[in-house]
Amino acid sequence: MKGRKRKDILLNLLPLVSILLFILAWLVVSGGESSLIPTPTAVFERYLKLLEKPISKTSIPGHIWASLKRVLLGLLYGSVFGISFGLLIGWNKTCNRIFKPLFELIRPIPALAWIPLMTLWLGIGETSKVALVFLGTIMPITVNTYTGVRLIPKINIDAARVFGANNVQIITDIVLPSSLSAIIAGVKTALGTAWMVVLAAEMISAKTGLGFMIIRGTDVLDLPLVIFAMILIGVIGACISSLLTIVERKLCPWKSEIN
Amino acid sequence: MNKSKIKVQVNDLCKSFGDLRVLQDCNFTVEDGEFLCVVGPTGCGKTTFLNLLCNLIEPTSGEVLIDGERASPQKHNLSFIFQEPSAFPWLTVEQNIEYGLKAKNHDKIYIKSQVNKVIEIMGLQEYRHSFPGEMSTSAEQKIVIGRAFAMNPDLLLMDEPYGQMDIKTRFYLEDEVVRIWKEFKRTVIFITHNIEEAVYLAERVLVLTDKPAHIKEEILINLPRPRDVTAPEFIGIRNHITELIKWW
Amino acid sequence: MEIRNKLELRNISKIFLTRKSYSVAIQQVDLEVRENEFLVLLGPGQCGKTVLLNIVAGLLEQTTGEICIDGAPYSGLNNQIGFIFQSIGIMPWLTVRDNVAIGPKFAGKNKKERYEIAQKNIDLVRLTGFEKHFPRQLSGGMKQRVGIARAYANNPEILLMDEPFGQLDAQTRYAMQDEILRIWNENKRTVIFVTNNIEEAVYLGDRIVLFSSRPMQVKGVYDLTSLERPRDYTDEDFLEIRQKISDNMDLVLE
Repeated sequence: MKGRKRKDILLNLLPLVSILLFILAWLVVSGGESSLIPTPTAVFERYLKLLEKPISKTSIPGHIWASLKRVLLGLLYGSVFGISFGLLIGWNKTCNRIFKPLFELIRPIPALAWIPLMTLWLGIGETSKVALVFLGTIMPITVNTYTGVRLIPKINIDAARVFGANNVQIITDIVLPSSLSAIIAGVKTALGTAWMVVLAAEMISAKTGLGFMIIRGTDVLDLPLVIFAMILIGVIGACISSLLTIVERKLCPWKSEIN
Repeated sequence: MNKSKIKVQVNDLCKSFGDLRVLQDCNFTVEDGEFLCVVGPTGCGKTTFLNLLCNLIEPTSGEVLIDGERASPQKHNLSFIFQEPSAFPWLTVEQNIEYGLKAKNHDKIYIKSQVNKVIEIMGLQEYRHSFPGEMSTSAEQKIVIGRAFAMNPDLLLMDEPYGQMDIKTRFYLEDEVVRIWKEFKRTVIFITHNIEEAVYLAERVLVLTDKPAHIKEEILINLPRPRDVTAPEFIGIRNHITELIKWW
Repeated sequence: MEIRNKLELRNISKIFLTRKSYSVAIQQVDLEVRENEFLVLLGPGQCGKTVLLNIVAGLLEQTTGEICIDGAPYSGLNNQIGFIFQSIGIMPWLTVRDNVAIGPKFAGKNKKERYEIAQKNIDLVRLTGFEKHFPRQLSGGMKQRVGIARAYANNPEILLMDEPFGQLDAQTRYAMQDEILRIWNENKRTVIFVTNNIEEAVYLGDRIVLFSSRPMQVKGVYDLTSLERPRDYTDEDFLEIRQKISDNMDLVLE
């Protein structure tokens, strides 16, 4: 019993250990004379400087929120569309025939390839960025929703029909809950894409945001700034992902956890 | 008549998972070449029992000895048959049956003769080069059983292999396993919930109690084969065992 | 007393069209189901019993023939017919109570009403206390009881049961067989029970219809009403009938 407790504590400490080791490795690699990598201390000092003199008159949280807002808005619209569309082509044979081939043609086009068109049509403001995130997110969400629908055990649908459900009830009461985890998996993937798209869009034309920070830093060879922004991006991305996992657990209490 | 030698000896076997005592003070022996059935009420720990016998898990106390030594999959030749057919889908019937033998590096001639023997007894000649996926579930189970016997194992453990099949298929497969057992004379421990099946197959039946499980009774069955499930002696034994474990 | 036919199947056949050809699942079935009887449909595995049951439930359409309830022909889904599937038929994302209440929910009953109905049926199958549990927390036998409660909650006149105990071990099966008879005795209705287990059939049925393997046809109808209940698996008469039916049943090694 004691042995197991000790083992558990050790296992829980491992992530911490690996991060510490990484920072240590960073220190070593960046410590060299001709190193191109700024040291952790340099990055930290840059952070402190940012607190005194913010970029674009926006605080750090301000930049974080700028990027996050674009991601969340795009993700929201993308989810609403993606889930509805995925349900439609997953459930209805005719719509499947009409829309799926078109979708499959558009899917391989990376969201970033849409940047020129979006900029042309919607300008360089917020709208075009949100639109890009939207385009990036609808792909994985639609695909996952569609797959979720296809994988519903027929017996659950049969049972619902036998118990008198009409088509709407089947979709809300059977199809949706049954495909919920697939949908959430799609949203998680879409989140990754969304981050990527936002940062790319910000690097091209923006006045605020973490991507903008990176571009700013690159322009003046301010590497500590670049790395600081990258760290922020990584941490926030990971946080949102964990949040989604918690949401999934709340929404799908019936799923057995594999520890 | 010579007393057969003891193949398996179980002494004071106990197993607990945390505070839950699953098995308690199990003591019994199995003779070489015997067909032993183990029955017990649902959830009494039969699977744990099986896992202990082939050393897949460690006992909390007590020991399992095969041929006088601690049971271990490395030292001893143990075969295990599960409820789901576990034939390798990427090998043909013939390749499946020779698999265990090849793994233990027997010589080719011996392997060939063993495999042929098994295929003939199980009636699988025309399926020699077929794949398990092309065959019915009961046929697949035959492959698995044939594969297990082909290895001439020290101990063959079967965990409810016919659980989900209909009665007629069950009786058919039960006859098959008796046939191959008679031919190869291996030691078999067969675990089942189905009392009728146990009485049909076994030379001896071990009746387990509910958790913490121990052996309630050992019943010798001396009926001639093939057994008649409607015969009064058969029914008598069946009813007796039912009385011992009935919880429903 | 006149024996009324609750359900009549006339000249039912079912042919499945595959890409290259066709397969005859059901050749021809004529069947009469008496009111409030416990009718067992017995046959080897994969013979088409489930197909027939799905046709009666309205989930599948027959190729030829017609079905009548109380003398009137009907087709498609019918809320007078309840269905008990094998245990995976209950929704894993709903609690026991929500699963049982699903029929009333689809019928538009409000929360209070349908939870009352659900509770009554949960008590009927002796799962009181497990209302808020999820299926993954239940044993096989308990899951099946949820399925039974769910079917009863809709108060159907005809109950179809498709090998409901097939996934359970032999002993739990015995327990469930007694359960289903107890519940049926408490509220009598017409039951059609499908199984491939001869012993189960003889234990449960008022009458047994024995089917052949595919293409499915009726091989024989056995009237067991003279066999007194509660029945005994090792009773002489029981075993005799069981042997008779077994000799007549096709051995299909599936």
